[in-house]
Amino acid sequence: KKWAATLPRITSTKLALQNFDVNYGTQFGERWPSIRVSLLSEQKYGALINNFSSAQELMKGLELQGARDFVYEARARTWSPGSVGGKPRGDEELVWSSSLAAGQSGSEVPLSSQVGEGMEMAAATEPPSLSPNIKCFTFPKGDITGFSPARLDGSGLLGYYLLDAASVLPVLALDVQPGHTVLDLCAAPGGKTLALIQTQACWRLAANDSSVSRTGRLRRILQSYIPREHSTEDRVRITSFDGRRWGELESNTFDRVLVDVPCTTDRHSLLEEENNIFTRSRSKERQTLPLLQSHLLLAGIKAALPGGVVLYSTCTLSQLQNECVVERAVQVAHEELGVTVHIEDLSPLTQLFRDTFNFAQGMRLGELVLPHLTSNFGPTYFCKLRRVN
Amino acid sequence: QPRKAGAEWGTPGSCAHEETIRSLMDLGFTEDQVIQLCEGASSQTAPLSTQGLSTLSTLTTLGLNPSSILRVLEKCPELSRINGNQLQQRIDSLRKLGLLEGSLQRVVSHCPHILTLTPKRLGTAVRFLREECQFTGQQVTEILRSAPATLLEENRQLQYKFQYAYFRMGIQHTDMVKSGLFRVPLEEIRARHVFLERLGVYETPDKKGQTRIINPKLKDFLGASEDFLTKVARASPDEFEVFRKLLTRELEEEKEGQEENSDS
Ligand SMILES: C[S@@+](CC[C@H](N)C(=O)[O-])C[C@H]1O[C@@H](n2cnc3c(N)ncnc32)[C@H](O)[C@@H]1O
Repeated sequence: KKWAATLPRITSTKLALQNFDVNYGTQFGERWPSIRVSLLSEQKYGALINNFSSAQELMKGLELQGARDFVYEARARTWSPGSVGGKPRGDEELVWSSSLAAGQSGSEVPLSSQVGEGMEMAAATEPPSLSPNIKCFTFPKGDITGFSPARLDGSGLLGYYLLDAASVLPVLALDVQPGHTVLDLCAAPGGKTLALIQTQACWRLAANDSSVSRTGRLRRILQSYIPREHSTEDRVRITSFDGRRWGELESNTFDRVLVDVPCTTDRHSLLEEENNIFTRSRSKERQTLPLLQSHLLLAGIKAALPGGVVLYSTCTLSQLQNECVVERAVQVAHEELGVTVHIEDLSPLTQLFRDTFNFAQGMRLGELVLPHLTSNFGPTYFCKLRRVN
Repeated sequence: QPRKAGAEWGTPGSCAHEETIRSLMDLGFTEDQVIQLCEGASSQTAPLSTQGLSTLSTLTTLGLNPSSILRVLEKCPELSRINGNQLQQRIDSLRKLGLLEGSLQRVVSHCPHILTLTPKRLGTAVRFLREECQFTGQQVTEILRSAPATLLEENRQLQYKFQYAYFRMGIQHTDMVKSGLFRVPLEEIRARHVFLERLGVYETPDKKGQTRIINPKLKDFLGASEDFLTKVARASPDEFEVFRKLLTRELEEEKEGQEENSDS
């Protein structure tokens, strides 16, 4: 094969790369090459365990292959060392608060000030709660082993769902608690929806995506993972509305809202010609993405109950589509709707996952998983907002 | 403690002949080296015969000293099965390609396998470099001098490497020769090149030979692995190691994909 013959004309993937070189080159400076080579190389996956399938054996198999459940490991880190020790799977939820309080006040705080300061400290550094039902396996840093395709178990359900392991983080950060009513505004194809259902905490879930064909895919995916009785219409409602209208449709309704917006999908845009948003004919659409994104986020804020949590996430590195969208939406919510929104600090959460993901340092707002060859996940941006009133 | 020569020489297949021993000594080999030669020979299929002896004397004539000759035979035992005349012919054809005294000895010591090539096969390899790859006579000599093993490679392999460097990396003939590109295995060249390309620090020149970024010098590109990482790639060994693994897998999958396509 002659190399000359295969030199490509200017393709969408190439346009994407040129665009990234300019924008991310400026944004990330010296760190850009390392991100770039990762984006252009094979990404790493995570296997989200399907608790509705016969998962125990499956997980043992994965462990034998050398994979590990990084969510479990992160959760184990929140158990205080010394006092109670490592907790076995299953009853960790109960032990948490008590063991933690004990461990914390004992550590390095002088006795005299322990009562006052210790209490405060415990409150401030209380570890993030992580759903014990989200289990996601990955191979360790630097290990490039891949997962085999998921298989059906005895009851015809698939054992795991393969996804970018970093997409589990926004769902964990959303922190669904038992009894919650949850909205997944841009849900298809459904990786995060599936993770939400795995928590077994959302009692009512509205999964929406404006694309009818994509909601069809979402439906099929849920069918192959969730037993019918768990996805009945009263529990999981699938719709195909324009998410921007949600504020009018159902405002002040949800305890938790996930706004996983359409974006430049950086990895995809660099590798696939098909459906590439950097095609010249889609440049208008691409340029108006930040606007669409802030409208979607705003709709999410409106849909949330006062006190509720809205989680904004993307799979792009672009500040214009990440921080700037959040800022814009928060500002508009305040100025035009009189709704105050607080941005929550996610660093206690990301601390727990440092061994698995490469987080960007010094983020102004939210957190960003940067692709790195040794842990080639992301990009995943996520920012947690709490609607105050 | 040096073994007594006589004890070894009784074994069948070894050079037991007094005459051989004397000839070896005449060529300047010490007693220990003679023993070494005989043991080396007895472990080979062909014993150190008259033929082996003529090889040794030809190599001596070339100007290699006994210890270099021993090293050469250790690297390439096949040589002792080529008779002196043939060997002489091969040395002559290397001379004709422009290898001057000094270089010639260095090439043979460094890559004795070059002498396993018959003049005909050597000619084919040279013609390939000149006609298919369009190197000049002088450049071929330089390749022979700096990377003799190149001439031993299969044409297909060599063509692939050349095309990779020329078309894919956009390297000119002179640079290929000067940088010692041919000394580096294709896998290594490719791993480094694709790594740099994906990092965004190497770009294939366009038809006019222009790039939007300044490519690293080929000399630095092909240097020691640590230098390559710290100076050119500015990446950690961990990153490059993972990258290599990923690339190997990518290429394998690509190959499988192509095979599948051609099957159907
Ligand atoms: C990043 S994807 C969501 C991925 C999904 N959350 C998952 O984890 O599998 C963004 C989705 O937003 C949908 N979308 C685009 N515009 C929308 C709109 N105006 N309202 C609702 N959904 C929209 C797209 O169809 C696309 O499926």
